[in-house]
Amino acid sequence: MATAFQYVPAIPLLPFAAFLISLLVGYFAPRLLPKGGALPGIAATAGSLLLSVWAFLTVSDGQYYNETIYTWVAGDAMPFELTFGLLVDPLAAMMLVIVSLVAFLVHVFSLGYMNDEGETGLPRYYAGLGLFTFSMLAFVVADNLLMAFMFFELVGLCSYLLIGFWFREEGPPSAAKKAFLVTRFGDYFFLIGVVGIFATFGTAAFAGEGAFPVLAEHVLNPAAEGHANTFGFEPTTWFSILGLLVLGGVIGKSAQFPLHTWLPDAMEGPTPVSALIHAATMVAAGVYLVARMYGFYALLPTVLALIALTGAFTALFAASMGVVKDEIKQVLAYSTISQYGYIMLGLGVGGYIAGSFHLLTHAIFKALLFLGAGSVIIAMHHNENMWDMGGLKERMPVTYYTFLSGSLALAGIIPFAGFWSKDEVLYEALIYGMGTDGLTGTLLLVAYAMGLLAVFFTGFYTFRMVFLTFHGEPRTDTAREPHGVRWNVKGPLVVLGILAATVGLVNMGPVAHLTGSDSLLYLHHWLEHGVGAAQYEAYHHALNEFAGFHAADLSPIVPGAVSLALALAGAGLAHMLYNTASPTEHTEKLGAAKTLLYNNYYQDEFQVWLATGVTLPLARIADKFDQGVVDGVVNAVSSVSLFSGSRLKRVQDGVVTHYATMLTIGLVVLLVAFGLVGGWF
Amino acid sequence: MAVSMQYYLLLSAAIFCIGVFGVLSRRNALVFLMSVELMLNAANINLVAFSYHWGNLTGQVFSLFTMALAAAEVAVGIGIILVLYRNFKGVDVTDATTMRW
Repeated sequence: MATAFQYVPAIPLLPFAAFLISLLVGYFAPRLLPKGGALPGIAATAGSLLLSVWAFLTVSDGQYYNETIYTWVAGDAMPFELTFGLLVDPLAAMMLVIVSLVAFLVHVFSLGYMNDEGETGLPRYYAGLGLFTFSMLAFVVADNLLMAFMFFELVGLCSYLLIGFWFREEGPPSAAKKAFLVTRFGDYFFLIGVVGIFATFGTAAFAGEGAFPVLAEHVLNPAAEGHANTFGFEPTTWFSILGLLVLGGVIGKSAQFPLHTWLPDAMEGPTPVSALIHAATMVAAGVYLVARMYGFYALLPTVLALIALTGAFTALFAASMGVVKDEIKQVLAYSTISQYGYIMLGLGVGGYIAGSFHLLTHAIFKALLFLGAGSVIIAMHHNENMWDMGGLKERMPVTYYTFLSGSLALAGIIPFAGFWSKDEVLYEALIYGMGTDGLTGTLLLVAYAMGLLAVFFTGFYTFRMVFLTFHGEPRTDTAREPHGVRWNVKGPLVVLGILAATVGLVNMGPVAHLTGSDSLLYLHHWLEHGVGAAQYEAYHHALNEFAGFHAADLSPIVPGAVSLALALAGAGLAHMLYNTASPTEHTEKLGAAKTLLYNNYYQDEFQVWLATGVTLPLARIADKFDQGVVDGVVNAVSSVSLFSGSRLKRVQDGVVTHYATMLTIGLVVLLVAFGLVGGWF
Repeated sequence: MAVSMQYYLLLSAAIFCIGVFGVLSRRNALVFLMSVELMLNAANINLVAFSYHWGNLTGQVFSLFTMALAAAEVAVGIGIILVLYRNFKGVDVTDATTMRW
């Protein structure tokens, strides 16, 4: 039995093989590579998808897999072992299916977006996609934090390579560098966190007997005899520091405030890349990591409240910027930041399942929206400005209806996917906010309020985008005569469009409450299980016992209705303002706020100021110290020796007699000295 | 009738000092060589004297070695002096000062 798990290593390794084929054959024999390397990639991701589904079905039978497959550093003198291993539990299986499905569809879509448009350098593109898919899948099945960190970095590298795909233009290389540096800033904290966790617990395993969340719970639990090296801090304080350090990587990768600025710029990359990396999967790596080590975070109320606040603030903040953007991909970029904020909110308030659920639905509908935007961009000859579009509804119906399905999901309109998941996130925020005492409860309620307000903005910007792009009269000649798209664009759109409309049905919280039947919460029941203590029951227990989070008893109907009403109000406002034959810009009415929003709250300027106004002077001072004091000491030592050497060398004048004199004098001096010391006289 | 030990030592010290004086004060390379011979032979006197004094032949054997060494040294020294003469048109050791800083 359990044969599916024997093939789990093949899930990431297949795309790796595709990467090698694209790279090597593309370099040495490009003529042998049909479609620029797309076919190996499609075959490999299809294989990964099949194996992922198989693993998913096996996991559904209640079998889990948690094995170390390779130990690369071990020894008697080592306090810990560094290993590669596989962990396949419901969360990982769900993510495996999402990643391989989106990767497969994006490979197919790339045929239309890259090959049919006559792009050059395709082997490089497909090699990048293959390497990315490999690293992302390996990240998902990683069974310890260090392995996760390594693949976390590798997906960052692939993101850099693919954003900068059109490296001959001006924008993409600079955007790639920005993405790399900003995420690296967060990853730096993550790395320290990994080292700290190794130093504290001696292991970084996610699940199993000696996993670090379990050890942390034993330390905090007075009944258990646990101990760990907390470096002189209170255990809770030290664990919170570790949690926050790892959270640094999460915030960078999942584009949360204040490290969100790289994601909108990352839209310089090819649109399929945006769909795969910057919407559905890589950005999800951050929040997935939080869910993966949720047993650890569930012990720390301060960190949880901070996660919730960061998420909710990011959700609102990014949604408000999405309202004024003119380019379709920019709107989607800000909505991605905003939606990941919701996932963070869900995880932060204690809604592990709600957060994972929104991760699932968001990956599907945001990949759909990006691919739809890609289809529009093909049709518009790579013009992304929504004010040049309009009226595309009649001319590209498949794209329109699938895009609409994704938009309804994004805006959270019943019964599309986003409604169920976003509603559950907000519901969890509300019940935990009301049930928890003290400051933490208040903070959770503040987070809930921000998340709720963001629903309105989400509804508004989503439908502003839909109306400007597809409704009204065409505003340019390109929009009147759009470039057609083929099956390879429409196929992925249809698959994702159907999923975006239906995937929310796996977890219909309000309906389950109305009918009183728990069996409608399929995802809930499915995600409840896990390996050892890495499962919902243990998380819930930790939340109640250690974090002091308690859920209030509240019907999900009213909060659901409120968020639906807000989403509809946002969509309705967009309908009033922009669903006309020739819509005009209404941003002027915002007054000073418009400038603020157009400039993204001056976050980029602020970060540039941080670099040039704070870091640069500090670096100058450090440089002065280095050049002056450190180098000064070294230079002084050398010039003293040089000077004395230049004087002393005169002794060597080449006259043999002088040398003989010195020898003799030296001998006499030695004799006299020994004599004096030895008491000969 | 044996001569007492200190006379040998005094003779040896005197010869050695003459040798050192020659090396330090003269400029002629040939005199250098002769002075070095004097110093070596001062050491030989010591070896033989002590050997005789203690009734042990090792010192005398060693003085034979020293003589062989001195002969070899003269051969090499003469060679160097010939080269010196060829390059500097003389055997004045203070002329040959090219090997310096």
